[in-house]
Amino acid sequence: MSAPRWRLAPGLIFGRAALAIYLVIMVLWLTFPVVLVLLASFQGTLEVSWPAPVSFDAYKTIPPSYWEAFWFTIRAALLATGIALLVAIPAAWAMVRGRLAGRRVMSNLVLIPDVVPQLILGIALLTVFIPLRLSNSFAGVMLALVALSLSTGLRFTEALLEGLPDEYEQAAQSLGADKLTAFRLVVLPLIAPGVAIAALFIFMQNLITFELLFFISGPSATPIAIRLFSDIIDRGIVPYAVAMAGILVYVAIAFYTLVAVSLGPKYMAGSVMSRKG
Amino acid sequence: MNISNNAAQPVHIDRVRKTFGEFVAVRELSLDIAAGEFVTFLGPSGCGKSTTLKMLSGLLPQDSGEIRFGNKRIDMLPANKRNIGLVFQNYALFPHMSVAENIAFGLRMRGWNRASKEKRVEELLQLVRLEGLGGRKPEQLSGGQQQRVAVARALAFNPDLVLLDEPLSNLDAKLREQVRLDLRDIQRRANQTTIFVTHDQVEALVMSDRIVLMNRGGVEQVGTPYELYATPATEFGARFVGANNLLAGKLDVESGTPQARLGPEMVLPISTHALDVSKSGIDIWYCVRPEHVAVRPGKDGAIFVGRVLDKIYQGTTVLVDLDVQGLGTIRAERPALEVGNVTVGADVGVNIERSHAVARLS
Repeated sequence: MSAPRWRLAPGLIFGRAALAIYLVIMVLWLTFPVVLVLLASFQGTLEVSWPAPVSFDAYKTIPPSYWEAFWFTIRAALLATGIALLVAIPAAWAMVRGRLAGRRVMSNLVLIPDVVPQLILGIALLTVFIPLRLSNSFAGVMLALVALSLSTGLRFTEALLEGLPDEYEQAAQSLGADKLTAFRLVVLPLIAPGVAIAALFIFMQNLITFELLFFISGPSATPIAIRLFSDIIDRGIVPYAVAMAGILVYVAIAFYTLVAVSLGPKYMAGSVMSRKG
Repeated sequence: MNISNNAAQPVHIDRVRKTFGEFVAVRELSLDIAAGEFVTFLGPSGCGKSTTLKMLSGLLPQDSGEIRFGNKRIDMLPANKRNIGLVFQNYALFPHMSVAENIAFGLRMRGWNRASKEKRVEELLQLVRLEGLGGRKPEQLSGGQQQRVAVARALAFNPDLVLLDEPLSNLDAKLREQVRLDLRDIQRRANQTTIFVTHDQVEALVMSDRIVLMNRGGVEQVGTPYELYATPATEFGARFVGANNLLAGKLDVESGTPQARLGPEMVLPISTHALDVSKSGIDIWYCVRPEHVAVRPGKDGAIFVGRVLDKIYQGTTVLVDLDVQGLGTIRAERPALEVGNVTVGADVGVNIERSHAVARLS
């Protein structure tokens, strides 16, 4: 229903304008750093000038050690995301549907890696990893990321399963499916969109995790965030560092687009994480 | 087309009991259901009807008692081994599967081959009159259509028993009336032993072969819809099924014919059906349905006189609330044309059809 024009009081118009300005400022504030990095990556310096010639020179000068660190990070992040979800989904199912005693305590305990400062978690892991020869290795970095991913993954999948009515599983069982079959054919497809979004968030988190890996990484296992950090400390903001930052933004956007396109826009906004029956 | 379930089996429920801590949800429920029969569990929320349904389906273990299909005991089996079709209140159709895939799910679990699955799905789509909609997703169907898919899915694998858990409560009033009859029709054609759970007495009366009236975990009465309506066995039954005037009184057989003494000046005739008439003076409930209370502007031939308190227009009928001295308020339901000249505040003559007045021990 549209209100007649003459009823749009000046106060209302002013209110709407103020709301629009407020939202625009918020969006600008959130996207400003990303836009700045992207502009800078085409100029080779953080002191962005406008208008300025666009050039790919900074990208061309990215050294091999950066690419090595980049692919190292992508591999570790993907693998950790996959492992974490493979572990988290059955665990969350057991916690939610199994109605295990002490479940509340358990689901809060697994959140600890998320709330303890990562730097401290990193130190703790280092003391475990050194005797196991896991520090300064791909496996060590990956396992550290799994610990973090698992916590996020559990939180996501637990919420997904909580939101899914029991009736779907019960219906499948009444039709002759055992619990595992009901899970595979009914529960899993129904929470899949939510799991994809969980994977997106976990992967992004893994891509840029810094503090946790600060002590665990080393010359033979350097995530890109650590590489950027040490270079910028040593040499200042070099053009190829800005270019690599730009590349990380592209990866994030690409991954986001992939999930958004495969799910459709309605799953991406807000809290709609599972399909409704 | 052979849609009839020839393997239909009688169902025996034997002293089944369920408690939740101190609360007795179902106390010692026993019932035999004939093959192909449509039985309704009727009662208010919390009466134990849904708990009984869950125990039958295997989603909730009973504390004690037995459930058998024919000679086969099934209460030890998990839900997926019981061969029961279950229709949920909100249907629980799998949203990621098409209508055909939903209907075929039970067949798939039983290892049917592709050709026989497709044939069976077609039969069921025809049975529930959804031909051609097999490729749709549940969300593309109306509520009534979704409900019929849920029924088709539950019938597809020729279950020994179909359980329907308030499947009409999510439909609007108009549709509900139609689907009631559809469901009954489908059940009859499929010759499918069925238990239907509802709190809606009209649904129960319209659809059932027999009704099991439940209250507080126990069975109040088992009988045909007519028996439940015409001769309620208990005060609860008289109050729950249909509207009723319930008046406290004493049994009086001194004059030879049984009567209900409702006050010093008020003695009313009663039918003696299902009442031990040997005990004069015992406390009884005198029940008469509003449609069996007649109202006339004149006082000639009336049993007693009442003052009209209110008239409530309902379309085809009018409810007339009457204040009767010595009895309190009683309600009559008459065709609208008949009471057009009855006015609020006037005194009217009241008659009660004796054969429809029932007395119950209180």
